[in-house]
Amino acid sequence: MKDFDLLAILMKPEFGAMLWHGLQETLKIAAGSWLLAMAMAVVLLVVRLTPSRLAERVVAGYVSYHRNVPTLVQLMLWYFGIFSLLPDALQGWLSAHNAETILSIVALGLCQAAYFSEDMRSGLRSIPAGQAEAARALGHGYIGSMRHVMLPQAIRNAVPALVNHSVSLFKNSSLAMAIGVAELTHAVKEIESQSFRTFEAYSMATVLYLVCSLLIMAVGGWLSRRYRIAGAR
Amino acid sequence: MFSVFEILRDNWLLLLVGQYPSGPLGGIVATLILSVLGIVLAFPLSVLLALARLSPWRLLRWPATVLVYVVRGVPLLMVILWVYFLVPILIGREVSGFTTMLCTLVIYEGAYLSEVVRAGIQALPRGQTEAARALGHSHLGTMWFVILPQALYNMLPSMLSQFISTIKETTLGYVINVQELTFAANQINNQLLTKPFQVFFILAMTYYVVCFSLTQLAQWLERRIAHRRLGAASAKTSEDGVSLPPPAVVNP
Amino acid sequence: MNPVPRPAGDDTMILFSNINKWYGDYQALADVNAEVKKGEVVVVCGPSGSGKSTLIRTVNRLEEVKSGQLLFDGHDIHAPMRSAALNKLRSRIGFVFQSFNLFPHLSVLENIMLSPMRVLGVKRADAKARAAQLLERVGLSNKAGAYPAQLSGGQQQRVAIARALAMEPPAMLFDEPTSALDPEMVGEVLSVMRGLAHDGMTMMCVTHEMNFAREVADRVWFMDAGRILEKADPEAFFKSPQHPRAQRFLSDLRAH
Repeated sequence: MKDFDLLAILMKPEFGAMLWHGLQETLKIAAGSWLLAMAMAVVLLVVRLTPSRLAERVVAGYVSYHRNVPTLVQLMLWYFGIFSLLPDALQGWLSAHNAETILSIVALGLCQAAYFSEDMRSGLRSIPAGQAEAARALGHGYIGSMRHVMLPQAIRNAVPALVNHSVSLFKNSSLAMAIGVAELTHAVKEIESQSFRTFEAYSMATVLYLVCSLLIMAVGGWLSRRYRIAGAR
Repeated sequence: MFSVFEILRDNWLLLLVGQYPSGPLGGIVATLILSVLGIVLAFPLSVLLALARLSPWRLLRWPATVLVYVVRGVPLLMVILWVYFLVPILIGREVSGFTTMLCTLVIYEGAYLSEVVRAGIQALPRGQTEAARALGHSHLGTMWFVILPQALYNMLPSMLSQFISTIKETTLGYVINVQELTFAANQINNQLLTKPFQVFFILAMTYYVVCFSLTQLAQWLERRIAHRRLGAASAKTSEDGVSLPPPAVVNP
Repeated sequence: MNPVPRPAGDDTMILFSNINKWYGDYQALADVNAEVKKGEVVVVCGPSGSGKSTLIRTVNRLEEVKSGQLLFDGHDIHAPMRSAALNKLRSRIGFVFQSFNLFPHLSVLENIMLSPMRVLGVKRADAKARAAQLLERVGLSNKAGAYPAQLSGGQQQRVAIARALAMEPPAMLFDEPTSALDPEMVGEVLSVMRGLAHDGMTMMCVTHEMNFAREVADRVWFMDAGRILEKADPEAFFKSPQHPRAQRFLSDLRAH
């Protein structure tokens, strides 16, 4: 690789700016969809825990759809399909306010909510049956046993899976490029087509993605260690 | 909504095989071929990577670990861009989008699948390795005759899940104009222009049917394996059938 | 792999010289000096945590040793050596685990045939014949095609013994072979072990089965806190143990 010149891109203000804006968009989408996904996942979990069979079916259907349809296709369905079905006023408002970013957040967030809710559900179900019994035997009510016994354990159990899926969520932000969002991957492609310094541009993006992913994994690892149950296998 | 059926009736061939024979093979057939080739070629790579990560020799362990972490930390799109850029340089000539996508899938799935294999190996009781070593088998002998046969069999449902992920990953080929199902759907949409929801609904449902059926197969497989492994007496399965192994399965 | 030179006529099979082992600060084995002669049956007993399993696992180097020397049939097991050499040595030491550790993906016959073929290079037909013979010896000829998950614990352990015997080792090590079995199956495994002892096999057994020790053992070693506190003739040991801790151990056992 002759003349690997990272500074050639970084020095040029436009490229630096493009990179920075791209990163910002990526982080915006990632953060927005993560919050939406977490909120939706809790809703799904709570709905699923109600005794209604219909609720169970609805949530199961939601999860099944979002796990079996590719994320890119979900994104396209939202942006090209559902968007066109919205009332004109809403369409107008969205178009004026970064429709692509908003719809990306919606699509990615709702998709990942399915995974998060399954992780939380697994976390809950991996608690030995005796725990709930012991809590009730001691006199805790349903909410009490959830709050003091089940959920603390469920969350600890679910952390590794949640962290993994959070990394996926972060990586999925790059899909927004397919509907025109100027996030990091898009920015890097632009830089590359303008400067022809493919290797440097791609390396920058790769490093940035890696750093963020590793950060998320490190935070997750820290969380799991901090809240670890001492002596548990 | 009825236009869904009209669109299907008019365009089913395009969705099935793309522009073949007056063009390269496309549509869902191309998607499936790409996925099968991808996972089949990724499999030996994944076993090698898993063994490397578990090997007692640092020279093997570190590069393998780094490779897996890098691939897991970088979006699939970036890997596609890298492969699209590097492969022509390495080979010396242009490669088709299909080949690029295939190489990408082999690398990407190789890394993820290696985590599945590694989890399978580590889930076996230590006693198996101890018994094999106590009998005098070497490290590789132990792996080949005792550990891998068990680990790979136990991990079949997870590997099937990775195959399903691969099918979903092929959609990104659209970004580099690979003629697969998503590309075909976009072509239809660009022609029709007035019914985007219906077109993408068909697209979503097609993937849903394929992936859902395979998921059911994976769950059935998991129940069968649990039944076999633990003896007829106690076949423990989780309610939805798929007990999640350490999460290596990723949605792209 | 050069055996340590020893005097002609030496009949020592296993020799522990000043064996010491630590897990961090905790001393698992302390100044162990002992000897198992050829054809001898030694039973190692003691309270849990006394280091008996650790001791027996050092013989085929499933556990490492911090200091001291361990000779098996004249070979220094813990000397630095290439893994091929260690594998060869291990193939000559029969080891039976508490949790059997049969290979679940292979049938009973295949379990027994695998290692003679792949480690010792025995031909398939010979390995099969040997396996069939051993199955008969442990009383399980009718289970040749079965898989481990289909067998009871006692049957699995007998197959495990046959698997170890298939390597034709000069000595057999048993690490609490009956501790994981339901009481009604203990007898069938002990009777196989008794048979081996009568045939002159050198055996070292960690076990809680005191009646077996009384009947079959030539020597009993009592261990506590990583040390061998008493080595005695079984009859003498069970009638009147010398060491106070041994006395307490035996009275605790009898109390049940």
